[in-house]
Amino acid sequence: MNHFVIDLEHIWKKYPAKKDRPGFKEFMVNFYKLIYKKRNHVNSDFYAIRDLTLKIKKGECIGIIGQNGAGKSTLLSIILGTILPSKGRVTVLGRVTPLLELGAGFHQDLTGRENIILNGILLGMTKLDVLRKMDTIIRFSELEEFIDLPVRTYSSGMYLRLAFSVAIHTDPKILIVDEVLSVGDERFQKKSKEVILKLIKGGITTVFVSHNLKDIEEICNRALWLRHGQVIAEGEPRMVTERYKKEMNKIG
Amino acid sequence: MKIDRTKLQREIDLLWILTRKEIILQYKRTSLGIFWSLLNPLLLAFVFYIAFNIILGVHIPNFPLFILSALFPWTWFSTSVSASTVSLISNKSLIKKFPFPKHYLLIASVLSQGIHFVFSLPIIIILVYVYGKHVDIIWLTGIPILLIIQFMITIGLSLAVSVINVYFMDFQFIVGFLLQVLFWITPIVYKFDNIPEIYRTLFLYLNPLASLMSSWRELFMSNKIYWNWIGIALLGSISILFLGLAIFRRLSKRIDEVV
Repeated sequence: MNHFVIDLEHIWKKYPAKKDRPGFKEFMVNFYKLIYKKRNHVNSDFYAIRDLTLKIKKGECIGIIGQNGAGKSTLLSIILGTILPSKGRVTVLGRVTPLLELGAGFHQDLTGRENIILNGILLGMTKLDVLRKMDTIIRFSELEEFIDLPVRTYSSGMYLRLAFSVAIHTDPKILIVDEVLSVGDERFQKKSKEVILKLIKGGITTVFVSHNLKDIEEICNRALWLRHGQVIAEGEPRMVTERYKKEMNKIG
Repeated sequence: MKIDRTKLQREIDLLWILTRKEIILQYKRTSLGIFWSLLNPLLLAFVFYIAFNIILGVHIPNFPLFILSALFPWTWFSTSVSASTVSLISNKSLIKKFPFPKHYLLIASVLSQGIHFVFSLPIIIILVYVYGKHVDIIWLTGIPILLIIQFMITIGLSLAVSVINVYFMDFQFIVGFLLQVLFWITPIVYKFDNIPEIYRTLFLYLNPLASLMSSWRELFMSNKIYWNWIGIALLGSISILFLGLAIFRRLSKRIDEVV
């Protein structure tokens, strides 16, 4: 038994170079290969993650920094389980609660209340759990008056508030956070940040992507700097962010 | 291995909410709501009545019961399969955000269409009595068996079709065409006995829907179960289910790279 809750070993993630879906001819040619996994290895394939190893213990808070396209979101999705790595081993013990692309899982035509149930169950709760926590979720989101309206009538701030509120009330054990400390207006931002900090202090394991280096230094106990899908530096947050800042200044 | 009750409960709830979502979303902004799913085959049956009875002069006794007893189950099958072609793409926001078994989306889609079929059973029962027949106890055996067989065929095809369509979008148009072909080579507007005798074996073994739809009709119209038809349909449905699952397993692994 290992004692890591998140254990990634030599992870690679490859994307085919072509963005578009194949046409009929290509499809027929590739169908055989697709099924038998015999795709030709063309050099133009894009690697979002290259040979990444990351081990996270229970209760740790890891901050991930890096420029756009460094593979941060891909890494989070691999931990979450929505993306499978092309190569390497992923072990995650326990349910992962995502705080990323908040509201992406909402259905426009369903009401706020219906979306709470849908999202809550997709986040790993039972229907009974969701119904029990319904009032708390609604109260935290401050959307009491609008909760039985379809979410297409919501403003983007209301949308985010509801999504955030559902996610943090699912009794998360492992939290992955992608730049969502900026939810709603200033007051709600403060409120949501406090909740996340309380969860982290409460011993929850967190993987945290942010461009705000100050947040990383304040909240995390370890930081990871990614570039082109590879780890450039790892360790004490201040040390990693200093190196990162230096490098950015050189480029800038 | 110990069965995790919460986990099982969660899986059931997941299937329930996804099915419910399909039903709500399908009719949320329409005024006739769920009745559209009944109205559609009813109107189609009326068109066939005009085309066959009035224009072509083919007289089939008890035509409304005759046609609807196969058309209702067919509608369940065909709406499920055509809805499944876009299912993974229209649910891509869920797929990208939550780690859950993706085949649940297809099961939910087939279940939600199946509920419409269950709603059509009272119409069948009314027609049975209108034409002086009766509902026999044998329905209690026949309906569950046929439901399970049809469910397996539909799920199997839906799984395959949905995942192929992610890689190859033209597929949905091909599916639309193939469904029409399938409709005409399945005994729905005609009886199984209308098929020339030399072709019957061919129909029976190559198209599991032929024995399935004929079984529905015989059950509703004559209170009979033909076990040889059931056997053939069952065999076909299991093969289709496993083939569909195999294709889905293979192709859905790399789905995040294309959706």
